[in-house]
Amino acid sequence: MKPDNPILAAAALVAGLLFLSPVLYSIFMSFQTADAYYRGGLDFTLDNYGRAIGQYHFARYLMNSLIVSGCVTVIALTVSTMAAFAFARFRFPGGDLLFAATVATLMIPSHISLIPNYLTLAKAGLLDTYAGLILPAISNGFAAFFLRQYIRGIPRALDEAAYMDGATPLQVLWRVIVPLSRPAIFSMGLYVFLTEWNNYIWPLVAIGKDDLYTLQIGLARLYRVNPGEGLVDWPLVMAASTITIIPVLFGFLLVERHLVRGITMGAVK
Amino acid sequence: MLRKLTPYLFVAPLIAFIAVFTYVPIVSSLNLSFREWDFLTPNMPFVGLDNYRELLSKRDFWASLHVTAGFAAISVPLRLALALLIASYLTRETLVSRLLRGALFLPYVTSTVSIAVVFSWVFSTDYGMANAALRFFGVAKVSWLQDPTLALWVLIFVNTWKQLGYDVVIYIAGLQAIPQELYDAAAVDGGRPGHVFRRVTMPLVMPTTYFLLVISVIEAFQVFTIVNVMTRGGPAGATDLLVNQLYRIGFVLFDIGQGSALAVILFVLLVALALIKSRILGKRVHYEA
Repeated sequence: MKPDNPILAAAALVAGLLFLSPVLYSIFMSFQTADAYYRGGLDFTLDNYGRAIGQYHFARYLMNSLIVSGCVTVIALTVSTMAAFAFARFRFPGGDLLFAATVATLMIPSHISLIPNYLTLAKAGLLDTYAGLILPAISNGFAAFFLRQYIRGIPRALDEAAYMDGATPLQVLWRVIVPLSRPAIFSMGLYVFLTEWNNYIWPLVAIGKDDLYTLQIGLARLYRVNPGEGLVDWPLVMAASTITIIPVLFGFLLVERHLVRGITMGAVK
Repeated sequence: MLRKLTPYLFVAPLIAFIAVFTYVPIVSSLNLSFREWDFLTPNMPFVGLDNYRELLSKRDFWASLHVTAGFAAISVPLRLALALLIASYLTRETLVSRLLRGALFLPYVTSTVSIAVVFSWVFSTDYGMANAALRFFGVAKVSWLQDPTLALWVLIFVNTWKQLGYDVVIYIAGLQAIPQELYDAAAVDGGRPGHVFRRVTMPLVMPTTYFLLVISVIEAFQVFTIVNVMTRGGPAGATDLLVNQLYRIGFVLFDIGQGSALAVILFVLLVALALIKSRILGKRVHYEA
């Protein structure tokens, strides 16, 4: 890495901090007492977090978000890897058409399925359940498309050697393809998890019970349903907001590179 | 026999999900858009094009289309121009440029609801950061989210703030693909930086610009979360973007027929845009090869 011109670098860093200042300040505010927030001063407390987690059920919402995003990620990666393997390695009647249908989901705006999916899940009795949140989110061809491109880059000779040794297609997938595709699967997993973590409109229509709110719904509710008439309890709301962003923030710092790759690959969709 | 079946077994689970939750719903939406229904009554009579006629005769619909088009027309060029400028500064591989890329990208992966809540505070009248900044410069406080004109600008600002990092990252990739020899040649010819930017950089990142242009327009037509959290479409419908209207008609007023008609219209609009995108993408791949 080349060194920077120190003055430009300092200016750029200040610009970056300024850019992020609303979020940084919201985190700061989440540790302020209400009194310090309204009148100024430096009184810090964990009480906002205590109330968000206890009284306002954010521990529950956090768990719901983890369950839903986790399940979506595992299921989506499983079915997408399987499909990607078949699309990359087999020629079969209808295969091109099915692949085209998979890729075309990227062009189909999700709101078209909002009302029908609501009706489908209502009929199946799955509104207000985890399954109702999870199942529609699997219906996305992006991971399969991305993984298929990646698998095509793996030399076929490796599959063939395994077949010679008497492996079944499932074994080839599990023993050869999956281990070699690990970076791609990891990037996709992050992408899917994050997308689901931040999903808002679907849980908004599919969930009415407080027990099953995800963090996004809980936070939007907490802000919209003001505890005091017109006067928002901002430090409390910011504590809840911080709980909602922190997992992503940590994840981001840990794996920025993978994440950026997963998302920029999305640009080629 | 089993050999022939193998690939189908592998694709079946994904295809089943896609069929049930993406393709069948397109057909159901179309079907529901020709019917009159409120979720509750047992039968749903066929009413032909009534829902479309009613929707297209409402001022709300045209107002919403107008607001959405305005939102896209302002926010998209703004985003692309800012992103290209920032990206041309951040293409170099230095520590600062990497940190800044991270900072810019962070909002893109952050929860939209959190961002909407944080900016609701920033633009709140009595305690917000925006008015505090104005006070610093001696300007009287402004009711950002209660003013019909300002509220839409606030949403444009928030959406730009959130999406900018994505555009920057894509532009950086586009800029890095421009061969260094072209810049060397321009330098030999004594091109001034502004000139080089206009004559070399801009034309060569055109494919990236087209690509970002189309996906940002598509994205702008689907903005919902910040509207739902920050303004609920108000004040006086000033920020009633199309998906917000769809949500209101379908899930607040429970007018399934008209909600579906709106969904179908929006669908046709967005798929047309997406098809333009894939044509551009086809060109881009060719161009880079």
